[in-house]
Amino acid sequence: MIWNDWLVALAPEWILLVGACLSLAVGVTRVSKWASPIALATVVAALIVAIRLDVPRNGDVLPGLWLTSLTFYVRWITLGLGSLIVLVNWHQPAANERGEYMSMILFSLLGVLLTASANDLVVLFLAIELVSIPTYVLVALSREDARASEAAVKYFFLGALSAAILAYGISFLYGAAGTTTIHRLVGDTVQSTLRTNGAIGVPMLIGLILVFAGLSFKVAAVPFHAYAADVYEGAASPVTGMLGFVPKLAGFVALCKILTALDWNLPSEVNWMLWIVAAATMTVGNVLALLQKNVKRMLAYSSIAHTGYMLIAVLVGPVAGQGPMRDGVAALLFYIVVYGAMNLGAFALLACFKTNGRDVETLDDLGGLARRAPASALALAICIFSLMGFPPTAGFLGKLYIFSSAFSLQPNHPMHGPLIALAIIGVANTVIGAAYYLRIVAAVYMGGETDTATPVGGRPVRWGLALCSLPLLVLFAWPTGLTTQVRTATTILHHSIRTGSRRVAAAIDSVRTAPTDVAPATVSQAAATYEHHANP
Amino acid sequence: MSAENLKLCSLVVLLAPLAGAILAGAFGQVLRSRTHWPAIFGVGAAFTAAIYILVHVFHAPAGSTGISIPIYDWITDGTGSSFKVEFLIDPLTAVMLVIVTGISLLVVIYSRDYMRDHGHPERGYERFFAFLALFVFAMCALVLCGNFLLLYLGWEAVGLCSYLLIGFYYGRPAAAAAAKKAFLVNRVGDFGFGLGILLIYLSFRTLDYKQVFSFVDQGLLASGEPISPALMTTIALLLLCGACGKSAQLPLHVWLPDAMEGPSPVSALIHAATMVTAGVYMVARCGAIFTASETAMTIVAVIGAVTALFAATIALVQTDMKRILAYSTISQLGYMFLALGVYAADSAIFHLFTHAFFKALLFLGAGSVMHAMGGVIDVRHFSGLRRVLPWTYATFVIGSLALAGFPMFSGFFSKDEIIHHALAAHPVLGGMALLTAALTAFYTFRMVFLAFHGSTRVPEGVHPHESGGWMLASLCVLSIGAVAAGYVGVEATGRAFHHFLSPVFAATFTAAHPTEAAAHATFWSVYGLMIVSGGLSIAAIVAAYFVYVRQPWIPGLVKASAIGVYRLLWGKYHVDELYDLSVVQPARQTGRICVGIDDYFVDGLLWVITAVPQGIAYLLRVMQSGLLQGYALSMVAGIVVLLLLAL
Repeated sequence: MIWNDWLVALAPEWILLVGACLSLAVGVTRVSKWASPIALATVVAALIVAIRLDVPRNGDVLPGLWLTSLTFYVRWITLGLGSLIVLVNWHQPAANERGEYMSMILFSLLGVLLTASANDLVVLFLAIELVSIPTYVLVALSREDARASEAAVKYFFLGALSAAILAYGISFLYGAAGTTTIHRLVGDTVQSTLRTNGAIGVPMLIGLILVFAGLSFKVAAVPFHAYAADVYEGAASPVTGMLGFVPKLAGFVALCKILTALDWNLPSEVNWMLWIVAAATMTVGNVLALLQKNVKRMLAYSSIAHTGYMLIAVLVGPVAGQGPMRDGVAALLFYIVVYGAMNLGAFALLACFKTNGRDVETLDDLGGLARRAPASALALAICIFSLMGFPPTAGFLGKLYIFSSAFSLQPNHPMHGPLIALAIIGVANTVIGAAYYLRIVAAVYMGGETDTATPVGGRPVRWGLALCSLPLLVLFAWPTGLTTQVRTATTILHHSIRTGSRRVAAAIDSVRTAPTDVAPATVSQAAATYEHHANP
Repeated sequence: MSAENLKLCSLVVLLAPLAGAILAGAFGQVLRSRTHWPAIFGVGAAFTAAIYILVHVFHAPAGSTGISIPIYDWITDGTGSSFKVEFLIDPLTAVMLVIVTGISLLVVIYSRDYMRDHGHPERGYERFFAFLALFVFAMCALVLCGNFLLLYLGWEAVGLCSYLLIGFYYGRPAAAAAAKKAFLVNRVGDFGFGLGILLIYLSFRTLDYKQVFSFVDQGLLASGEPISPALMTTIALLLLCGACGKSAQLPLHVWLPDAMEGPSPVSALIHAATMVTAGVYMVARCGAIFTASETAMTIVAVIGAVTALFAATIALVQTDMKRILAYSTISQLGYMFLALGVYAADSAIFHLFTHAFFKALLFLGAGSVMHAMGGVIDVRHFSGLRRVLPWTYATFVIGSLALAGFPMFSGFFSKDEIIHHALAAHPVLGGMALLTAALTAFYTFRMVFLAFHGSTRVPEGVHPHESGGWMLASLCVLSIGAVAAGYVGVEATGRAFHHFLSPVFAATFTAAHPTEAAAHATFWSVYGLMIVSGGLSIAAIVAAYFVYVRQPWIPGLVKASAIGVYRLLWGKYHVDELYDLSVVQPARQTGRICVGIDDYFVDGLLWVITAVPQGIAYLLRVMQSGLLQGYALSMVAGIVVLLLLAL
């Protein structure tokens, strides 16, 4: 590719980078409160460019950076929800720190975008750290409170530990595969051990587990979840809404990339490990949430539980079929958008009110909110019902997709029975979850007479809240727009990274452009045929 | 009109009321006393579009079997099957849409004055119009949709709106209780309905009307095996269960009389003209399924005839005008089920059509009386209102004549047809229907004479006044309908209504009973019954006049001499008490036991469950010097465990 091609193909990333620097520069001037509009304009501009961008969906832009349809999908949802994150954080720290604060948000979003295009373990690692490091700063800056500083320190140290684990795991993978290019991980060395003997080399296995452990911290899966409650409680609510989504998205995207490199054909040890982690994550998250009185801690454990649901989808993978009802990855990609919106919406509401001069945190603080602010209470109720997975909200569809994908593996698949069991555990957990989610709704609508919550925060936060909650209803009635995108994103996910040549990608493209309902078998056949011709 | 226009029109029918509801709800605080405008415009647009659809369907080429309009795929699974958002437009849909939106428009206009107290909007004015428009949206969705999934959604949505509107005056305990009762009784019916739809899906692997009905026509399951008659009957009876709940048929009729706690326009629209006829519509729509099972059809007919007679007898002694009308609604819905059960679906829909006009008129008239009487609606507390409410009186009498089946009014034609078909099919059921007709005429005019005749008497402190122009306008338009609506279905106009509907029922009801046409042969078979039923109706009205105006001591005597029967009827056959003893109290007891289990067993278990992690956390905290190190240690320990698991 000639150089200005990659300049164009990475246009959203460039825009974010420029916007982040601009916001940082504005931060040291007197007009630092302009940082918020600048950040919003940047994210929206990047979103528009990302949507309008017409470049091949299968191309190596630079060594280590690949643009696939998954990249594009992740770009859209990151920037779409990113603009809501900026809205919710609009007033967050004092004006003199807002420049740094907004630039950190933009850098973190940039990290997600790069994670989505990374095709090299080193790039992937750097991109994920680009997501994480700004979040440590955001937690610290978010409010003038000792708890925020404490949370930031904890988050930083544990995050550093997880980064070390991730890097260590990557070094094992490199050692086993002899390459850091993701799509070659299987192709070169490991494939034989994976496929023929049914066993896997120990270094590769250790590498996989360590990488998984490192990413588990980002997505807050058990047993790497312990930080979440403390950090969520310590940080200001708008940051917490971001923390629940952005690192999680990056972690799941990275996980999908690595598993795609393994052809979603995992050794049974790794499958069972994922199974246990998913079951434990759902259950621990929900059971611990039951105990909480602090809404932020409750939502922190709820976000752990949602990680567990999404891990079910990861375990299913794209092998069972296409579309979110059959394809775990498609279900995951659908769910994470919905989750991001409903989670952010719930925290946005907390950001809209103060009680007795401090932030709203406990169930009692929310008591009787519906009487004073019926519209905000309704928006919260929509988000909570969606988190609960209750129709008519998109959360219902998200859970439906995940659970139905778990039921759709072929009976001869080794994980067929275990996944059905896992889906049943998931449904049982949904019921447990309803218990504490309903307590929030009950507090808002039927709660005490204290009614001390007073509205703070301006219009942008309210717009953010509305834009988080209303689409949940629209998406329930009309999920087709998103499911179509999800389908496109996953159709060639399986193949684009593995079959390393751009010419093969072109061959896949030609198959893809014919009918939309192209079966995975057709694509893989096309790829296989091509490979056969290319390497006789 | 092209297919694109048709799609546009059906979207307008559906979305205009929804937009009205959202506007009324969201900007009610701003619009205040003008909140009725979004609702009127929304429903008015829907009505206009419904007329367009009717015209389009009217001009459709002969032999077309309904137009499917796919909007989008709601949920697709990877194997090609999907749940679609899809409309089905055929003559039945078109007629139902016009009825629903037309009556709704008149009711919304009526409500503009009714929901005011001395010219000022009542509390909850905007909430009322938002719910009313939302109801129209839900009802149109129910009628328009082309598959069972959307039918179920619409079904539940109209139930929700009904609940919200019955409980509109939620401050009144009676209204709150009535709303709850309606909701719970409907849950029983909807449970069966949901099971029926589930069974349809399991049998045919699709919920699309056309596909399901074609499977049933061929007598095949999705797997290619033949359908067993027992399965067909089960599906039909489960669907009927839903219909009985929604249309207040025995034994699930108990909620409708109580639903009169809602504002009168709501009673007129939801609990008389539209929502309660959803059951009739559904059975007519699923004719393929019902006619495939002789047993189910007989049960439909029996339930209809028994309900009609049962409710009419109760109405004989009630004194609350709206409750009398409610029992009469149950009775008239019974007629429609009877017609369906004897394979005369077109007559059922014809009666639905005429009933919508005169029953809405009667309820709105009763609302006008209630408005004038300061909320009192019991005929024992007032009389002789014809002098103070002349317009209401005139329109109410027109509605009553139509309900009573007085010759040449709309109800006469449609009811006569049903009795005719019933007599031809089952003489006993036909006889019950004929008896019901006489009782209907009697109790209707008992109500008219008690309320509007005799010496003028009003409750204390009430200054009766005729209702406002918006209300009277609606009443007048509806009275025209109550007089004239029947003429679209008589021999003189070539039974245009029935011909219009005939493509819908040709393959189902009509095909199952092909001898129908021969019955129209002789003069006496057509007009003989008309003369008998018309004569019965006139005789009953005269009897009511004699008993309640001329010789008002007779009712007391009858009551005293048959006090047992009177108490049975006054107590509505004690069905409520029966349910209370057999269902409600046992449920309460079970609930108490469950609370006990919850308090002691589940909470105890939860305490144990929660104590374990807390205990572990405590142990860990004792072992560690600080929190951060503890977390880090747990992470490393986690990796070790994972490695041990995997290696």
